[in-house]
Amino acid sequence: MTKLNDILSPFTAWKHVVREPVTIKDPLNREAADRYRGFHKNDISECIGCGTCESICQNAAIDLVPVDGVETKDGDSGLRPRVDYGRCCWCGLCVDVCTTNSLSLSNEYTWVDEDPDNFRFVPGAENKSWDNREKGYKKPGNGYELYSPVRESMEELEPEQRDQSFIEIVQGYSKEQAEKEADRCVECGICVATCPAHMGIPEYIKAIRNDDLNEGLRVLYDTNPLPEICGRICTHKCETVCSVGHHGDPLSIRWLKRYIADQNPAEEYKKILNTETLQPTGKKVAIIGSGPSGLSAAHYLALMGYQCTIYEKLPAAGGMMRFGIPEYRLPYDQLDKDINYILSLGVEIKYNMTIGKDITLEELNKQYDAVFSGTGLHMGRSTRVPGTDHPEVYQAVDLLRDIVLGNEVPVKEKIVVIGGGNVAMDITRSLARLQKQKFGKVDMLTTSLESEDIMPADREEVIEAREENAVIDPGWGPVEIETEGDKVKGLHVVKCLSVFDENRRFAPKFDEEQKKFFPADMVVESIGQGMDLSYLSEEFKEQLKMDPRGRILVNDDFQTSVDWLFAGGDMIQGPDVIHGIANGHKAAMGIDKYLSDK
Amino acid sequence: MSKKLLKWNEDRTLFPEKNSEGKIDVDYDSHKFMKIWHGPQHPGITGNMSLELTLLGDEVMDCETHVGYLHRGFEKLMERRKYIQCFPIVCRVAVPEPDFNEYCFASAMEELAGIEVPEAAEWLRTLVLEMSRLQSFLAWIGGQAGSLGQGIIGQWTIYLRDLILDRFEELTGGRIYHMYMLPGGVRGLLPDGFRERMTQNLDDIDKFMKDVKKVMFDNYVFKKRTVGMGVIDPAWINPFGITGPNARAAGVAKDVRKDNPYLKYPELDFEPVVGKDSDIYTRADVRRRDLLMTVDLIRQIMAKIPDKGDIRAKTPNVLHWKVPAGETYSRAECTRGEYGYYMVSDGTEYPRRINVRGPSYTHAVALLEKMIVNANIADVAGLMVSLHTYPPEIER
Amino acid sequence: MQTIIENLQKHFQVVSYHQQRENLGFLIASKEVAVGLITHLRDYEGFAHLVLLTAVDWIEDEHFQLTYLLHHPEKKVDLGVRVMISRENAEMYSIHHLWEQARTYQRELREMFGINFPGSPDVDKPFILEGWEEIPPYRRDFDTKEYSEKTYFPRPGRETHDPAEYMKKKLYPNE
Ligand SMILES: Cc1cc2nc3c(=O)[nH]c(=O)nc-3n(C[C@H](O)[C@H](O)[C@H](O)COP(=O)(O)OP(=O)(O)OC[C@H]3O[C@@H](n4cnc5c(N)ncnc54)[C@H](O)[C@@H]3O)c2cc1C
Ligand code: SF4
Ligand code: SF4
Repeated sequence: MTKLNDILSPFTAWKHVVREPVTIKDPLNREAADRYRGFHKNDISECIGCGTCESICQNAAIDLVPVDGVETKDGDSGLRPRVDYGRCCWCGLCVDVCTTNSLSLSNEYTWVDEDPDNFRFVPGAENKSWDNREKGYKKPGNGYELYSPVRESMEELEPEQRDQSFIEIVQGYSKEQAEKEADRCVECGICVATCPAHMGIPEYIKAIRNDDLNEGLRVLYDTNPLPEICGRICTHKCETVCSVGHHGDPLSIRWLKRYIADQNPAEEYKKILNTETLQPTGKKVAIIGSGPSGLSAAHYLALMGYQCTIYEKLPAAGGMMRFGIPEYRLPYDQLDKDINYILSLGVEIKYNMTIGKDITLEELNKQYDAVFSGTGLHMGRSTRVPGTDHPEVYQAVDLLRDIVLGNEVPVKEKIVVIGGGNVAMDITRSLARLQKQKFGKVDMLTTSLESEDIMPADREEVIEAREENAVIDPGWGPVEIETEGDKVKGLHVVKCLSVFDENRRFAPKFDEEQKKFFPADMVVESIGQGMDLSYLSEEFKEQLKMDPRGRILVNDDFQTSVDWLFAGGDMIQGPDVIHGIANGHKAAMGIDKYLSDK
Repeated sequence: MSKKLLKWNEDRTLFPEKNSEGKIDVDYDSHKFMKIWHGPQHPGITGNMSLELTLLGDEVMDCETHVGYLHRGFEKLMERRKYIQCFPIVCRVAVPEPDFNEYCFASAMEELAGIEVPEAAEWLRTLVLEMSRLQSFLAWIGGQAGSLGQGIIGQWTIYLRDLILDRFEELTGGRIYHMYMLPGGVRGLLPDGFRERMTQNLDDIDKFMKDVKKVMFDNYVFKKRTVGMGVIDPAWINPFGITGPNARAAGVAKDVRKDNPYLKYPELDFEPVVGKDSDIYTRADVRRRDLLMTVDLIRQIMAKIPDKGDIRAKTPNVLHWKVPAGETYSRAECTRGEYGYYMVSDGTEYPRRINVRGPSYTHAVALLEKMIVNANIADVAGLMVSLHTYPPEIER
Repeated sequence: MQTIIENLQKHFQVVSYHQQRENLGFLIASKEVAVGLITHLRDYEGFAHLVLLTAVDWIEDEHFQLTYLLHHPEKKVDLGVRVMISRENAEMYSIHHLWEQARTYQRELREMFGINFPGSPDVDKPFILEGWEEIPPYRRDFDTKEYSEKTYFPRPGRETHDPAEYMKKKLYPNE
């Protein structure tokens, strides 16, 4: 039955004839919403060219390209993302994942151009009308993270548990922690250039994620034959450039390396690393010093089939790694694990053999096809202020060595250390432990020229030293050590205003009015070490070219001007273990090249 | 009701006799039959699909649905993308309601990975799904009216839909493809002033829908062409896998939001909209009432949605997120019925297999092919639109 | 759900039942019993709604997995029946007589995975693809990237750099 209503009701539509139109009058100039995902913007001074945006883009719309005026340097690849709008779908994942938050999308969405190639451009480097627009899509806040910016925390001994003993403080990651930490890596590889040995960092972190620790060990040994050691005490410059560190904590690269090494049992190294049999070349190389540079050279030479013999002055191997770095940071069994593996490759080591005394360099040259020298820096430098020649004034490196050798170490109730670097922290903390053992309390004061903010020591070293009740009072220049007969009374200092001049040259300025006196009955100097080249005969020294700073001159292969002698480690390029490893490796390649050409 | 507008010619003597299978033997040489392509370029077809119709006079004798004009192989493409990289493409499976893809994909993955989505994100997802339903219904109403010659309705409802797209734009940063619900959560809280603007829009929709009711539903012509037409027998519901309004108009109260509640639906007050007569008119009316219910649901959601809080759970790094091996199926109620993602993980960073279940898969092929036989050619578009089908979710 | 499975075990050999969540479970049935089992589930247990039918290619294990996902409209639970069939001459019994839409699924599986369902109406008719000459594209061994590279042209002028490689070239080329 037809209702009348059904015929009349549709006519109500007519009332819309007089309604205000709802169409937008000027659609081309309609501004999009605040969060609209329009064209890309990039703050290229913030961007570091890590390429994480490129790797997440499922449309393959992003290329990383060099850009004029952007330089390749530590922590910045010098590349910048170029977006292809023929492919982009404006999902904004590149923005969400950008490690520096430099990338964003403006809310501009109209752009007309006749040349299709213009739609492929480098945001931020090629000026666009929307570059200064505030509005648009940025990475959301409120807990929105595509990867965790927070480092997996590491178990450490509490200060009370550690300040009396030399037991290792850092406990190491569990499997779960290591995998979680490894998961944070964005695999950009920015860190590789900064690592002096250019380790395959993203690859070994990936091996942890895949729980393939044998593969991880292989990656480590490609460039670093001392992973247990470096996994503990490396200066980890890589972490300072980690792209994840721009907005969050950098990856804990060093602890991850240690995790891989810790998890692989020493007995299986040869199988995992496929070094059960090596092809001998029949040639022999002598190595002076069993520090990291000597060990690294020996390792890579052994892999290439050279018969290596290390000559070591001291009764144990490792150089400063054993006789400098305290046990609570680097336990001896871990040191031995790395060293013993190298020795297991057929590397021979002769202890208590001082070159220049027990055997001369020239003799080595006769017996071997080439010689590598990595004798390091072992002579502590002195401030030379009045009083330093007093018998109760010591050198940090000597004391550290004596602790390891088991020699009697003088420990007084009140000790002042001069120095602001890591060695100063090591001696401070070592002596603090000995004081605690001997007197049941700690009374250590460490002072340095540098003020707190520019102290060269690692931040955590300073914090931990304070946790162990040592006083760190930086920013003072030593004037005189006051002595009275066979006793030391203390150290006079004045305020240090600045350490370097405008040209970054060492030129300390003092305020003589601001004085302080640190009472002490023993003073330890720790302001750096110098090299001891007494094993070079005078006539040999004449043949050897030196650089302007008084170091032996080497070429890119770490070959000296005497072709059979190669050199590396602290005396060529310091200041740390990883540099020693890197140039020991390069020297090994250089020796191989030299001996193959010969 | 006048016989002239009935769907087939009552005088069956004009037609060849049916064979033993109940079908007519089509013999083109007899010059009685004609084959026409309805689509893929035809204003009465929704999307990129075509119906190959065999006609005898005005009457459809046989129909075959052809899809594949928009096949992009999404399911396969996803197999070589990391999970996060699937997120920007899933929405593209179905333009009219992209958000269901985002939701089903994310929730399936979250289930396999054992991720719990924060409270605020759950509310925002519920909101977005209802907004999605709302704009889809609005577009559909215009289509249904248009297929029967009522252009004006489409003009109104597309305007209304644009209002919702404005809200989408400010909430998600996109109008059509929102890319908002990513695995672990969502990408933003409500912007300032969103509630007020949304409330205003909902009031406008209510107002316009009263006119739509008067002009479209209380309309002699519309009723003539839809009442008693295209009836889905309730007995077909299960054999054809019919879901959504197509089932509810037949009196079967199937609604995933009630049957297998997800997100915040348990905290919302609603009853599935059902009809009785299961014809084109009833289906249209069920959708109209469902639309009004969605308006009401959005009001309820707006009252409960938090303004603060985390929007994304802590998840593994998306660049190498390995989802634990396993398989699951996640579903939601879109405007066309049951939308679902079947996801299989082999424990790697890449999905092993993802299968999208779009409701049109059954509605537009098996069901439509059956219903259309004996329809008048003039009713084909109306009938098709009344099933609310969308081809890209068939071919993916 | 548990009682349904216990019931089922009285009649069929049900292997490796896995409860994915409260209202969803998966079980494995052999190719020979699968259709019988599914018919039983439909007719006696009330799993009246076929949600989907699809395949997973386990190429490493040389078989396809067919997944029949069934829904129980009253109990609101789902049961996935997984059937492993050999990849070689892949074939499965048809269920087009149980659900009308099954023929569409089977036609798609025939086209996309090359799995045959003898007796299923129009199973050999192309469904989505037209004039396809390669191996069925949803098989794992069909390489979409390779296919697109040989079928389409890349736009010239694209070039990218790996940050680590590029930095090596710039900063320490000789190491
Ligand atoms: C206290 C302290 C803490 C340190 N902490 C860290 C740290 O945390 N991280 C880090 O990376 N680096 C650290 N370093 C620096 C690091 O130990 C050195 O950079 C590194 O050991 C230098 O290696 P090298 O190969 O040059 O030789 P060295 O380690 O200096 O070893 C040289 C070896 O040569 C032997 N030798 C010397 N002369 C002769 C000779 N005439 N005949 C035979 N053998 C000889 C020595 O006995 C010694 O074994 C620290 C150094 C010190 C002093
Ligand atoms: S917005 Fe999405 S598609 Fe566009 S460049 Fe960024 S990640 Fe790629
Ligand atoms: S992710 Fe960010 S920082 Fe890295 S390259 Fe891209 S825009 Fe630059």
